[in-house]
Parts: sequence; C-alpha cells; structure tokens
Amino acid sequence: MAGHFNFKASVIWESIPILLVGIKYTIFITIFGLVIGFCLGAVAGLARTSRNPIFYRMAGFYIESIRGTPLMVQVMFLYFGLPLALNARIPPLAAGIGAIAINSGAYIAEIVRGSIQSIDRGQMEAGRSIGLTHVKTMLYIIWPQAFRRMIPPLGNQFIISLKDTSLLVVIGVGELTRTGQEIIAANFRAFEVWLTVAVMYLVLTMTIAKVLRMLERRLEIR
Amino acid sequence: MIKIRGLHKSFGALEVLKGIDLHVQPGEVVVIIGPSGSGKSTLLRCINRLEKLTSGQIIVDDYDINDRKTDINLIRTEAGMVFQQFNLFPHMTALKNVTLGPVKVRGIPRREAEALGMELLEKVGLKDKAHVFPDQLSGGQKQRVAIARSLALKPKVMLFDEPTSALDPELVGEVLEVMKTLAKEGMTMVVVSHEMGFAREVADRVIFMDEGVIVEENTPRELFANPRNERTISFLSKVRSPIE
Repeated sequence: MAGHFNFKASVIWESIPILLVGIKYTIFITIFGLVIGFCLGAVAGLARTSRNPIFYRMAGFYIESIRGTPLMVQVMFLYFGLPLALNARIPPLAAGIGAIAINSGAYIAEIVRGSIQSIDRGQMEAGRSIGLTHVKTMLYIIWPQAFRRMIPPLGNQFIISLKDTSLLVVIGVGELTRTGQEIIAANFRAFEVWLTVAVMYLVLTMTIAKVLRMLERRLEIR
Repeated sequence: MIKIRGLHKSFGALEVLKGIDLHVQPGEVVVIIGPSGSGKSTLLRCINRLEKLTSGQIIVDDYDINDRKTDINLIRTEAGMVFQQFNLFPHMTALKNVTLGPVKVRGIPRREAEALGMELLEKVGLKDKAHVFPDQLSGGQKQRVAIARSLALKPKVMLFDEPTSALDPELVGEVLEVMKTLAKEGMTMVVVSHEMGFAREVADRVIFMDEGVIVEENTPRELFANPRNERTISFLSKVRSPIE
C-alpha cells in the first residue's frame, strides 16, 4: 500500500552483526585481490616501460582487454565460463579474489608505468654512470622514487576495488552486498538494510581515504 | 687514457659527430668549448657510452668500450660523469648518494664506504651536510656532492658535462674550486664548459668544436690569444665578456 511506509530503526540494529560478517569478506577480498593485483600490475607496468616488444605487447593486450570489458563480465567468465573449459570448479571466494586481482592489476599497471616514466631520465643516467646495472638502477633509484608517486593513485584504486567487490554478488560470495541481499530476502526491509549497507561502505572508504592522506603526508616529510 | 678514433654519432638522420679523433693523456685536463649543438656533450656521453656510437672506436684505459667483452659498468666506474643538472638521487642523503656506488657496485662494506664518503664530502667542503637530503642543498652544494659521488668509485677519468651551467653565478666559483683541486691532484679530466677563465687557468689543452667536428685545438694561452680558424675567432668574440 503506497504511502504507508514506516521506518523501523530496530531492523538496522538487528542487521548490523550479520552485515559485519559480510564486511570481513569484503575487506579480505579487497586486500588479497589488491596485493595480487599490485604484483600483476607491477610486472605489467614494468613490461610497458620495457623495450622488449614481446613483453610490451603482452602487457598491452592484458591491460587493454581488462580495461575494455566490464568487471561483471570478467567475474562471470571467471566463475561460470572458465571452469567449463578447465573442467574444474573454482570456489567462489577464489574466483572473487582472482577477478579483483586481475581487474585491478590492469589499472595498477598503468599507475606503475606512469610513475616510472615520470622520473627524470637523468636519474637513470646518473645511476648507470656510477656503474650500476639497469636492474640495480631500477631497484635502488627509479623504483623508490616512482613508488612514492604511486601512492595517491593506488589509494584511489583501493577505494574503487573495494566498491567493485559488491559485483561479486553475482557469484554468491558472502561479502557485504550479498549479506544485505540475504537479509532483505528474509525481512523485506529494503530501505533500512540498503541504507545500512551504503553507510558501511562509506565508513570503509572514508577510513581508507583518511589513512592514505596520513601516509602521504608522512612520506612528504620523508 | 682515452683514445677516440673516427667517432661518428647520429640521432636518426641527424649526424651530430662527424669523425672525431682525440687522445687524452693521463693527468691531462682537456676543456671542450663550442656553440650549443656542436656535439660537445654528445662526445662526452659517448665516452662512457651513455650514447651508443654509430661508428668509430673509443678506448678508455685500454678497454674498447664498444667491444662486447668489455663490461660497460666497469668502464663507467673508471670514467666518472658529472651532469649539468646534478642528477642527485633525491630520496637519499648526501652521504647515501656518495656511498651507493661503492656499496652496490664495488661491494665495499657499508661502514668502510661511509668513512670514504665522509672523507670525500670533506674534500668538497660538505662534511656538515652529510645527512641532508638534496632538496635542502643549493645548486653549488648539489654539484659538489655529485662530484664526490663520482669520486667515490675512484675513477681514472672524470667527465664534466657543463657542470656550472645550471648554477646561479655566485655558486659557480665553489664548484670550479673543487675541480681545480682535482686537476692539481693529477686527475685526468675532460670538461665541457663555457667557463673561459677556468679553461685558461686549469686546462692543458682547449678544444673548439663546431658542427660535429674538432675545429681547432691548442694550449689555452695559444687558442685564446691566437685563434687560427675563423669559426673559433667568431665564437670567442661572442663569448668574451666586454670587460676582458
């Protein structure tokens, strides 16, 4: 009956403990996904700065194909499509982490590439001129400086990936959004529950933003 | 110490060095002058192979730098390079800048390298700045740290690529002082510079380059007093300040 909506605050208090379990999954998937994604991104990003055409093109293919397709499609391909070809089931949680890793890796690759290329050429020349090899110059001179410049965009990617985990609802991983959906299936209180879920995401992303700002400030002072 | 024969260097279709022959004796100080775009810096950068040669031969301390068997990283420790833009490592203290080479290239223990680093910083007059980061140093101080960084590898030759061109005028002197000291100690030096006073005082030989060739070379006294080539005369008349 339209016009007879009444807000029930008790629904919120009742759903919070259940949603907190979902949050644990959300955080777990985000962190693991990003740690793996950073490794993928670092390798692909370095390959994008390489003069080796094979590395360069392989990384380019990875980055373009991931950035050019929706995450939702990637998730479903990984969870529903790939197991058919491999003839092996992938557990939903692994598929979720994998999807976040592969997806964020493509964006992180561009962050890594841009940061490395933003370091003055003279730094590489100075490193080489004191007899360091290319690899050692990368390791001791270029990477530490580039990494500092990566932190703000990586923080941004952290927030994006955290929100992206909500798409894993389609493969039934029990993260925050999925948990909210399950509660609503039982009590039909969509307004209160989705509001609570939204606020929880907001608290998470705002906390990350704050921690990152602190980190950036500390690195500026050195 | 350095033997260059028939050196050519092109960037695409642009030929920057058109056949350079140059020998530098141990302990000699050679200053290269010439208009911008004449190939001076490129020549210097070829000597430690920051630029690849197109053709010709460069021998540094008996090593052919273009030979596949030559360890180029070794040559680079023998021929220290000082850049116009200093290129200090901004994420490291002055001392760390100096000790990085000895520790990571030579494998010298950190404590020993730090003793060497302090000694070199003292030599360039910056012992008190050892633990300061480059962004808190003046241009002249940065360049002196950069010189110490090169010296830390105990090179046999020092290459200077316009070491004072990016400095405020009042900071040029302190860098030239350090270079003079090095020259007096018998360091072999190849210096690309616009500092005619330095050339006159310190150089054993001055080389005038224009359009990718060595136009004229002589002792500083002769070259500045009696330049023979028209291009040299024209260049010198342009760079000489009216006071001189």
